[in-house]
Amino acid sequence: MKKNILLSLLFLPLACFGELFLEITKGSDDPFKVAIIPFAGSEKISKPLNEVIRNDLNRTGEFSLLGTKLLLPLIIEDGDINYQDWSLLGMDYLVAGSILQGQSSVDVNYDIYDIQKRKKIRSSKVFGLPSQIRQLAHYTSDGIYESIAGIKGIASTRLLYVNEIKSKKFNSNYRLMLADSDGANEKTLLSSSEPIISPAWSPDGQKVAYVSFETGLAKVYIQDIATGKRESVLSKDTQISSPAWSPDGKYLSLTLYQDGNAEIYILRLRDKTLTRMTNQFAIDTESSWSPKGNKILFTSGRSGSPQIYELNLRRLNSKAKRISFEGTYNAKAAYLPNEEGIIFVHRSRDGLFHIAMKYKKENFIRILTEAKMDESPSVAPNGNMVIYGITEGDQSMLAGFSLSGASFKLPAAQGEVREPAWSNFLR
Amino acid sequence: MNKSINTFFALTMLILLSACSSLQVTEESVSNQAVAGVSISQKSTATQAVLANAVVYFEYDQYTLTSKSIQALKGVVGLMKRNPKIILSLEGHADERGTREYNLALGQRRAESVANYLIANGIKRNQLVSKSYGEERPLSLGSNDSAWSKNRRVEIK
Repeated sequence: MKKNILLSLLFLPLACFGELFLEITKGSDDPFKVAIIPFAGSEKISKPLNEVIRNDLNRTGEFSLLGTKLLLPLIIEDGDINYQDWSLLGMDYLVAGSILQGQSSVDVNYDIYDIQKRKKIRSSKVFGLPSQIRQLAHYTSDGIYESIAGIKGIASTRLLYVNEIKSKKFNSNYRLMLADSDGANEKTLLSSSEPIISPAWSPDGQKVAYVSFETGLAKVYIQDIATGKRESVLSKDTQISSPAWSPDGKYLSLTLYQDGNAEIYILRLRDKTLTRMTNQFAIDTESSWSPKGNKILFTSGRSGSPQIYELNLRRLNSKAKRISFEGTYNAKAAYLPNEEGIIFVHRSRDGLFHIAMKYKKENFIRILTEAKMDESPSVAPNGNMVIYGITEGDQSMLAGFSLSGASFKLPAAQGEVREPAWSNFLR
Repeated sequence: MNKSINTFFALTMLILLSACSSLQVTEESVSNQAVAGVSISQKSTATQAVLANAVVYFEYDQYTLTSKSIQALKGVVGLMKRNPKIILSLEGHADERGTREYNLALGQRRAESVANYLIANGIKRNQLVSKSYGEERPLSLGSNDSAWSKNRRVEIK
């Protein structure tokens, strides 16, 4: 499944929506060739639906979609597929669908055909409200992606990120934002005149945790997305930061500063029991959980420079093990969803910060990005895409890439955008 | 799992494998999550009238005091000894390089370095409140050495 990391440059500026503008900057060099016959239905629905499906699949970088103009003469009659013709066009797969609009609902039906094997491989239906066209399209493109690429699609997942609108004299406005994975459908979860950092998803996608400086001191809050109800996780009079949810949603790992120094604790949410995990003269922070919940990664300055450490939670009194050795700055690490490796921020010899990855079975790191101040990588739940923050000129924005080598950017219409956090699967 | 009140349709997913091998058939409804936003207008509470107003600066990645900072802190020690009732806030900051959480911790270490110096010179711990803003409140905007050196600081106020 891992294709080559180096690829041809393919500039495909795409339509913009919401406050983030999706721009695909690179595609994979070995994409699946797919023909999608535009789903027929009333133009009001079919136009956006077809557009979103194509954009979703293009963004993965793993698909090369046949231009819609070339499809016109190739109409399917009575479900009869002329496999020979599609094969001559070089297609690997064919997708055909239709839209059925009821009074208060929209049904999307689609079929996927494997051209080489000459058979239908999927027949699916998604349905929803007429106001949910984008969601219907995301579910459809995820189905197409899953059947063809063999892993779950992430078009129907969501992103959290921080937006700062700077104005004169330091009265910035900070907002915690929620959007669809393509940047559309943006909503404000929290708006404040004080900084907001480190947003984190609950595993079920219903809640967020973040650090807000609204009281003048960094504190961690948990907020329910649907109701807006929020609470400070601990009533302690100390700085609290760097929240990360355990995969079962029952615990939150945190950094507490009660001794004046950053130390990692695990908070059991049910009864607010705190367990101290580190006890070190140096800084310990940026904890994150392994997918099975049995280990945490964190950044520690105990060796004299920030490095990544791993701590086994199941073994009593186990010692944290250093796992990063290249360079003098490795921080904010997270496990890949299959635990094959970790992704983190690495400072290279020229002093620039990049996103890097280290696979368990390799004894070297792979540097994956090339801007100057790349930060905050977050991996999509299918493990195939990474979103992170970049700075271009003096503008910070989000960028992403797939492990197959495709890349994209999400520049904001307004202000600075940073610290993206990718949700779990939400379906 | 706690089903959201706001899921308009219950999520249904059927995956049936048909008899004639590997045809996947699914039926699924799209979920719709409601979102409620919150706005905070409250500003962090302003501290007392400014009695001491000093800034000390740090080297990149460092939280140890330089000889220049120590000169600045001597004035603060004198002032605090003359005003044994005032409480000073030591606010640590970092430049924009590096991760935000590590910089928050670094800012805190810088504030603690100042606190430790003041305590070593006879100031009581309970007269000092140390905290950090990390890289979130730069004094100087810009991505160059000059801006960065102004941003690696502890503000005493």
